[in-house]
Amino acid sequence: MSKQGKGLWRRLEEVPREILYLLIFLAIIVPTISPIGLAVPIGDEARAWYSTIDKLAAGSTVFVDFGYSGGGEPELGPMAVATYHHMLQKKLKVIAMSTSIEGPLLFDKAMAELGPEKYGSKYGVDYIHIGYIAGTETAMAAVGKDLRATTSTDYKQVSLDQYPIMQGIKDASSFQLLICFTTGGDQSEGWVRQWVTPYKTPYIANVLALMIPTMLPYRKAGQLLSLTAGAQAGEVELLVKVPGRGIKSADVISMTHLLMVAFVILGNIAYYGRKASGG
Amino acid sequence: MLVAGRIFALGMLIALWIFIVGGMELAKKKLPQFRKIAGLDALPEMVGRAAEMNRPVHFTTGLGELTGTVAPQLVAGLAVLGHVSELAAKYGVKIVYSVYQAQVMPLATEIMREAYIRAGKADAFNAEDQIRYLSGEQFAYAAAVQGFAERERPAANIMIGPFYAESQLFAETFFRVGAIQLAGTARGYQIPFFAVVCDYLLIAEEIYAAGAYLSKDALQCGSIQGQDLGKIVAWILMFVGVLATAAGTPIIINLLKA
Amino acid sequence: MSLLVRRQLPILIVFVAALLVMIDYFVKIPGTGPAVTDLQNWGIILTAFALGFGAVNLFYLHTRHISRRTPGQWPFSIWLLVMIAVFAIVGVALKPTSKEYSWMYNASYFALSATVYASTGFFIASGVYRSLKVRNLEAAVLLLAGGATLLRNAPVLAANVPLLISLDSWLSAVPTTSAQRGIMIGASLGAIALGVRTMIGRETGFLGRLTEAERGK
Repeated sequence: MSKQGKGLWRRLEEVPREILYLLIFLAIIVPTISPIGLAVPIGDEARAWYSTIDKLAAGSTVFVDFGYSGGGEPELGPMAVATYHHMLQKKLKVIAMSTSIEGPLLFDKAMAELGPEKYGSKYGVDYIHIGYIAGTETAMAAVGKDLRATTSTDYKQVSLDQYPIMQGIKDASSFQLLICFTTGGDQSEGWVRQWVTPYKTPYIANVLALMIPTMLPYRKAGQLLSLTAGAQAGEVELLVKVPGRGIKSADVISMTHLLMVAFVILGNIAYYGRKASGG
Repeated sequence: MLVAGRIFALGMLIALWIFIVGGMELAKKKLPQFRKIAGLDALPEMVGRAAEMNRPVHFTTGLGELTGTVAPQLVAGLAVLGHVSELAAKYGVKIVYSVYQAQVMPLATEIMREAYIRAGKADAFNAEDQIRYLSGEQFAYAAAVQGFAERERPAANIMIGPFYAESQLFAETFFRVGAIQLAGTARGYQIPFFAVVCDYLLIAEEIYAAGAYLSKDALQCGSIQGQDLGKIVAWILMFVGVLATAAGTPIIINLLKA
Repeated sequence: MSLLVRRQLPILIVFVAALLVMIDYFVKIPGTGPAVTDLQNWGIILTAFALGFGAVNLFYLHTRHISRRTPGQWPFSIWLLVMIAVFAIVGVALKPTSKEYSWMYNASYFALSATVYASTGFFIASGVYRSLKVRNLEAAVLLLAGGATLLRNAPVLAANVPLLISLDSWLSAVPTTSAQRGIMIGASLGAIALGVRTMIGRETGFLGRLTEAERGK
């Protein structure tokens, strides 16, 4: 092959990263501005997530950990909102805490997006947030053992005794389900050690997509009843019938994944082309 | 008196105690042998490269906290820091350690100072310049480390400890500035990112073995030996459990649930 | 300070506290439950205190940069301290649950944090283009597994090619889970070993700077 040919393969193999970034940017921006409406299949885990919550009787109490940070909100926020839609539709009692310091602020953000009043839900009666509790697993263990000894106020510093929802809530045995939304493996695994193992609390977790492989052993062992990625929010929104940011992201997720596959193929073509041309 | 469902776990914990303490005692008499770990053997080459290029070496132990569940990984990283600092001192290379948790600073100062003393270059150590507390916030820390990489363009980057989402940011940025990289973490979430980008990789418990491998300290080596015994027991249980379950008897499952 | 106070007393405290928590988990002994609850709550308080300690450290570090006019650093140090002060004042005066505090958080820290986090997507793209090449057998296996997962996670493809779902399920259930279990067991044993060494005083990193006598050498 000519020198020009060799140069072409090398140039293709060494495409400036700015061009790759521009292509990724376009794959994100174009479907965001102009949604394509690509198909979104509902997977088994999203169905398991939905059915675990759906099986609970009205009035059951659910414990939620808003354990994600601001960086993870775009991925996990839509799932949290969709799940809250489902729980409030079912008239479940939802008590939240945060193992992440930004959790209370992100809880406010989620409630503003959700609009609990449309279900007739009231803060302190149907849902509450008991605040950020430092210490990750220490906090989980303490709350599971004796919630009232660990914290006596909600995230607004109002006494928990003032809220009807907190009546009869003592420890992990007071809850029929534990849900964790987190960007940190310390939280998602910590709840298994501190609540599932000692108290056998049913547990579902929503984590970043990159965390799924590491959490799979817990799922396959039955310690998790459902393990979903934040990117599956669209699937849960379809099940709950409240479309939101999750469904809107589905096109972006499809396009960027396809682009990544194209990058892999192109990179290999360039590599083998250069090798074949003696470069 | 014993809590039902936790008896086997208690038995295993006691057994592990015996293995680890016993391993440490045995190691005092005879040091256990380790298999080759390519990443650790490459450390002199990495620091040597930095010396030739007259560029610094960067070291980070990630988002480690001395009080958290990932403390073992941080401690493992600090063990390697001591060794790399000694190499850097010998070769006359500047090593910079980026700190995430302020409480680690006194410990790191002592480790690096002692390393420089061992290398006979005590006067060359400048804690203020070489140990930099950047931030206790994940992405502020990540941005600061990236800024260091772009400005000072180290020739080698060593990342051993608990890493979170910033792992990919670090790996790509240091690749871009031409640094040779060794990474190691026991946080399974981040191993794939390091595997794809870094030149050398330590996977999971290899980082715990790193300190022992480099220092040949009897206590650390013995501890690793004890851990390996624990792994053998786990393997035997798995193997026997698979056979028993395939034969239709839940004896091992019932034992584990006891 | 004497050896007893600097070394032996802290190790004894660690040993007793850790033993108490472990005993409470495995054995029913009346009286240990409330003691362990107290220990856990003290742990939470100490962690919260450490957050404040981190803020103090930041102040110390950045006021030094400002006083020394560290080139390329000191204007940012001033800005950092101003922002800390603003957040602190608003948080204390109006509470962190106020609209004003939320607005400040959303407009600054949340936006920056999400942006930096999102940038990992771009870095992954360049990493994937450069690294996922079939150079040898291991790279080919990595490519096939990664490629299958990429394709499965594109909703439009998963909807139209059900085989991708089955393939990804098998990859997740068999090789991935097995490997992760192995890594988890190893990491857990490492954590237990560190715990054992700490409890018996063979790991003294948490004691900070010690003299040779204090280290027992």
